[in-house]
Amino acid sequence: MQSVAALPVKETSDPGATDWPLLLVEDDDGDAFLVGELLAETEAPIRLTRARSVREAVATAAHARCVLLDLGLPDSQGLSALESLRAAAPNAAIVVLTGLMDEHRGAEAMAAGAQDYLVKGEIDGRGLLRALRYAIERRATEEAARALQESTLRAEENSRLERGLLPHPLLRDPRLTHVARYRPGRHQALLGGDFYDVVETPDSVVHVLLGDVCGHGPDEAALGASLRIAWRTLVLAGVPEPDRLAFLQEVLVSERTDDELFATVCTLAVAPDRRSVSMRLAGHPPPVLLFPARAALPDDQVGPAIGVLDTVELEATRIDLPPAWALLLATDGLLEGRDGADGERLGWDGVLAEIAAIGPDVTDKDLPELLIDRVEKRNHGPLTDDVAMLMLRWPAP
Amino acid sequence: MDLSLTTRSEGDHTIVAVGGEIDVYTAPKLREQLIDLVSAGQYHLIVNMESVEFLDSTGLGVLVGGLKRVRAHDGSLRLVCTQERILKIFRITGLTKVFPIHSSEEEALAATD
Repeated sequence: MQSVAALPVKETSDPGATDWPLLLVEDDDGDAFLVGELLAETEAPIRLTRARSVREAVATAAHARCVLLDLGLPDSQGLSALESLRAAAPNAAIVVLTGLMDEHRGAEAMAAGAQDYLVKGEIDGRGLLRALRYAIERRATEEAARALQESTLRAEENSRLERGLLPHPLLRDPRLTHVARYRPGRHQALLGGDFYDVVETPDSVVHVLLGDVCGHGPDEAALGASLRIAWRTLVLAGVPEPDRLAFLQEVLVSERTDDELFATVCTLAVAPDRRSVSMRLAGHPPPVLLFPARAALPDDQVGPAIGVLDTVELEATRIDLPPAWALLLATDGLLEGRDGADGERLGWDGVLAEIAAIGPDVTDKDLPELLIDRVEKRNHGPLTDDVAMLMLRWPAP
Repeated sequence: MDLSLTTRSEGDHTIVAVGGEIDVYTAPKLREQLIDLVSAGQYHLIVNMESVEFLDSTGLGVLVGGLKRVRAHDGSLRLVCTQERILKIFRITGLTKVFPIHSSEEEALAATD
């Protein structure tokens, strides 16, 4: 969550130091002249511009820090001028001018979003300046409160989605260890649609899922969470491995908000003796073996991502494993890091070189963070896309 | 990085030449172009990717979306690409089984499969 200090508040307005633009919306030449004179006597460096109608004001309001608005304009009724100006200059402070007889309209205007009101004929220059200054401060405070509320809501929403995306694995085998990491991309405001899961079935097969809904944002993140839970349900319900991704595609097609959305998926089924895996790749990069040797698993059987074609036909690749091994699964956010500012994308070759440079002494728990840091350094900045990583290790007997 | 798009007609085909990076920021521009062409009744598209420097999953989604749109009108979407790093993206995402990929515009225009 952002701190209040980091929120996008407009710079504070010191009327003594800044040449700030004030838009006066007034049809009466005499009243307009008076406002100009009052401000001139304060010698505050205000850039005063004038509009004679709502139409004229709306056309020029965009740059105003503050709008001084007469409610009795020829082309407005009631508070319609206020509404138009709030829409045209959403960040400006608005101070309403009323006559002595209709002071109640000032209060109505404040309830409708104006920052203050002034009664014509009751103000001097210093009072006018102070009112404008307070109005600008009040507007900035309102904006900060709104941004803070939005950022709080967003943080709550993200943690809800994150719980859905990143689950507690259902793993009974105490020797098979796993480490998972998720890091949002450059635009930390919203999660992307990376997801993973690990489920061990009663036959001791460990089923692993790692996937990525293309695109970023709450829709993609929600879809990722749906797919993860759908897959977990399919595994627990005993649906055979070859059929699961076809069902997962059905779920994706029925839940997606946009026809273009698809998801890349890698699934593994680790055999009960942990000496082989059956792997299926739907448009997803293959996992890499980190130990004993560093090498990407073969990807020649990769099929299209789910959601692309009408049917899913993915061949499984069986891979024999050594007596002790470590596997790393990742989404393409990690592999799309650049090698240098304008460089080629790293791919597994570049990422494996970074893993080699980290060396063998680091614990599994620390490796993903260290790896992302190194990849970001090589990328000359944060990675654009989300990164999900899942590491599995089977120790020597 | 930006995305450049130029289109021209060649018989009943429209060739869209794409340059630069197709990523989460620029892909909407390509999507709009493909939608405009299909709305204008152009159902046989050839997307020339020879000047594309980068393609991410959002870009792939836009191409897949374009393919679905033209297929709904019995049309076609062919790609021209000989750059190894772009071909590799289609290969690792399994999309070589989805898009016909040609080594030149002439070859794509002559294709009938």
